[in-house]
Amino acid sequence: MTTPLPDAPAARLARPWGARLEPYALVLPAMAVLAFFFAGPAIYNVALAFQDLSLFDLGKEGRWVGFDNFAEVLSDPSTGQALYNTAVPLTAVTVVIRLVLGLLLALLLNATVFRRWRLGWLVRSLVLIPWVTPPVVAVAAWKWLLDARYGAVNQLLVGTGLIEQGIPFLAKTSTVWGAVETMLIWRELPFVVITFLAALQSIPSELREAARIDGANGWQIETRIVLPLLKPVIAVVTLLTTIWTFNNFVYVWLATRGGPGDYTQVLATQMYTTSFVDYRMGTGAAIGVVMSVIMFVFALVYFFVIFREKGEK
Amino acid sequence: MAMTAASPRRFLADLAVASFGIGILLILAFPFIWVVLISFRPDSEIFTRTFQLITSFTLENYFTLLDGSPFPTYLRNSLIVCTIATVLAVSISLITAYGFSRNRRFAGRQLLLILVIATQLFPFVILITPLYATFFALGLINNPISLVISYTAINLPFAIYMLLGYLDTIPRELDEAARIDGANTLQIIFRVILPVAWPGVVVVAVYAFVSAWDEFLFALTLMTSDANKTVPVGLAGFFGEYTTQWNLVMTASVISTLPTLVLFMLLQRKLVSDLAAGSIKQ
Repeated sequence: MTTPLPDAPAARLARPWGARLEPYALVLPAMAVLAFFFAGPAIYNVALAFQDLSLFDLGKEGRWVGFDNFAEVLSDPSTGQALYNTAVPLTAVTVVIRLVLGLLLALLLNATVFRRWRLGWLVRSLVLIPWVTPPVVAVAAWKWLLDARYGAVNQLLVGTGLIEQGIPFLAKTSTVWGAVETMLIWRELPFVVITFLAALQSIPSELREAARIDGANGWQIETRIVLPLLKPVIAVVTLLTTIWTFNNFVYVWLATRGGPGDYTQVLATQMYTTSFVDYRMGTGAAIGVVMSVIMFVFALVYFFVIFREKGEK
Repeated sequence: MAMTAASPRRFLADLAVASFGIGILLILAFPFIWVVLISFRPDSEIFTRTFQLITSFTLENYFTLLDGSPFPTYLRNSLIVCTIATVLAVSISLITAYGFSRNRRFAGRQLLLILVIATQLFPFVILITPLYATFFALGLINNPISLVISYTAINLPFAIYMLLGYLDTIPRELDEAARIDGANTLQIIFRVILPVAWPGVVVVAVYAFVSAWDEFLFALTLMTSDANKTVPVGLAGFFGEYTTQWNLVMTASVISTLPTLVLFMLLQRKLVSDLAAGSIKQ
């Protein structure tokens, strides 16, 4: 490299003050909005977590109570239950199912026939349908499909003689999580499929051909060659879907309100209920801090594992 | 490609794979297809005990919804709030992305970019209490301005990153030429860069609009009167726990989905490839 860089020190010194401040001026509006919307509230939320404040006393300073809110939240058995619900049935189960189904579906739709027969547009349109449905609509559609008397699912089950009476899926503890998970997976699966499909299509076909010539069968090609190449994409999709789902509020809230009883209460709905139904803002804020800490630790551990793997290679 | 060149056996294998794939996708799409069918179904044929795919057809639900319910108000609110928020988010992020793209080494650049990404780690639900307090202090509770601010902010981080990716592919010579002609930086961004980056800007705008259109939590918390509700919250109010007119809920669902459906279908190829490119790059 012999060509001088435009940002060489001499050139930079020669630039007037205005030009040197320009990048800051350009990014300032966005940073101000983000500070107002994300940074400020995050800090304020931590402060609130140490206060006793009712929603009605908003605008005043609450009574400072030290770690009382945290003691209350962490000693309450319902928090443990909500944490388990958030981590396992809501997040782990749906993320794993989405990854497996998404991968299988992407492998199927990557078959060359869809390109040779020019079916790409049809595949994309159909895959996108659950995803263009707003989450509220997804929940409405499934609530109606799962209705105990008039829902299509129960009508088909009763009609085929599999069961005698319709099942109120959302009201029974044995079926309610399956129903909520179905709604969430249905709406969010397309993102996983599309991302995996794009990653698969970026793998040069020569690679498969070469493996085939070397005598590898279809299964070996997918598991030994394709899957390792997909690893970085799988890692990113896992991280994103885990964070989004762990923090998700709308599916549980609209499908069950955390019920029957508190059976499907997750941290996000518990936080919302504490702050905006019970009006205990301080306690709600403490739940929020607990959630953030868990996600922060998860992200740290996750990055540590991924980067260590990369370093070993 | 001549299909006749392939052997019949190959053709049958292709047909099997294609119909299996499309079949699975149709099953996946079925819940929404069902919603559309129900929206055209008369009251009398909703509450039947047996499964019927095809029944009589009526537009009555659409008339009832658009003429005898508060749904048009929700639609108008959503359209106004989401459109303004989208224009704001795209303009602000275009200026910001230009700043990051054309200045590669100002102090703090890397840190700011990391902070922008870090906003995506936040549980949105923890922001809602402090933001409620802040908007309350500003007198903006039950005022659509607070939703416009929220949706602009929610969309900024990913819009900045996507636009940064597009702007990096636009040659700097364009800016230099315009600067020699006497244009200032804002003129360069909106008169020179914007027309060139237009396809990318449209994709970002569609994503921003759709994510605002779908948003539920902030709309639920910040808008307290029926007159200011947006589509998702209004629709959620339609399926209360006890009484429910499901054909009207399904009709409202179809109308709520139309804007996203149309936008995504029009731009499907580009939207999908750009989204995937973004995730792979990360």
